Amino acid sequence: MRSHGFAICLFFVLTGCAHSSLVLLPDEDGGHGQVAILESGGKAGETVVGEANSRATLGGSQPAIRPLGAGGLKPNEALLVSELPPPAKSFTLYFLEGTTEMTPESLPVLDELRAEIAKRSGAEVQVTGHTDTVGNEVDNDALSQRRAEEILNLLASRGFDRSIMSAVGRGERELKAPTDDNVSSPVNRRVEVIVR
Amino acid sequence: MVRGSLFLALSLALSSAPAFAEIARVKSSSGNAIVQRGASHVPATTGLALQPGDWLVTGKDGRISLTFIDNSRFAIGPNSRVAVSKFEYDRTRQQGSFVTRVDRGSLAVVSGKIAKSGRDAMQVRTPNSLLGVRGTRFIVEVPK
Repeated sequence: MRSHGFAICLFFVLTGCAHSSLVLLPDEDGGHGQVAILESGGKAGETVVGEANSRATLGGSQPAIRPLGAGGLKPNEALLVSELPPPAKSFTLYFLEGTTEMTPESLPVLDELRAEIAKRSGAEVQVTGHTDTVGNEVDNDALSQRRAEEILNLLASRGFDRSIMSAVGRGERELKAPTDDNVSSPVNRRVEVIVR
Repeated sequence: MVRGSLFLALSLALSSAPAFAEIARVKSSSGNAIVQRGASHVPATTGLALQPGDWLVTGKDGRISLTFIDNSRFAIGPNSRVAVSKFEYDRTRQQGSFVTRVDRGSLAVVSGKIAKSGRDAMQVRTPNSLLGVRGTRFIVEVPK
């Protein structure tokens, strides 16, 4: 009886399942970030969990961090991670200058886009306008927003579901080919369609 | 005629309001899985658009996965109660702040643009801790 109770206590100590916990995983691209414990057990501080595959027990005034070890994730944790939705995927469309007519190279991208949306459950689509660096930031924000809306309408007219799409203007913040200010660049004048 | 235009006005109001505030979409769910919005409880069906303040609640067989408009992704396990307490995001500048509350259960996260936009711009609160997310993939578990 006594040893049974001891075994249960040991189980809790070893697994930490009586406490909240944090598991830091490697990123999908192989690197890893960090999570900072800013408060634990009512005490403010900053304990950085910076090693991938480590587990931190939360709630004590001194959070305990240890490696996951050879056992790795518990089965329920591995299942949870496997249920994360796929990462967003991005497609780039180019248009003949000043028109809504796609360049010949962009036409097949439309089919890829359609296929990507079809294979995702609960798909949501962001149509993002980008400008080059000609003009000021405010004008380019407005220009890219208008462009995104225009292309959203074009996609809707081609059978894409309007209710899952939204338009965003990114102005000149995300240049495909970095240039100095006030440089005309057809590569940078583009519409990026992000499928989530 | 009057009834017709009233109906039109109502349906416009209904269709434009959620679209404006949409912060995430449910990608999949199974078992007992609901979204609590104020006093309303709706099933967490695939494609459902979420708003700031929504609670995601699962029963013992329930699971929900979702993707946010900043590319953050969540998977919520059984017996969970998770709220998106705060989600503010400037889509043009890709900056914002995002606070998730995990009262119980399990949550897997891949952070997105908001976490990259500033130190601890993305935070997760549990009953006894506060976490600052610095761009990463992780799991938070809060036993009952």
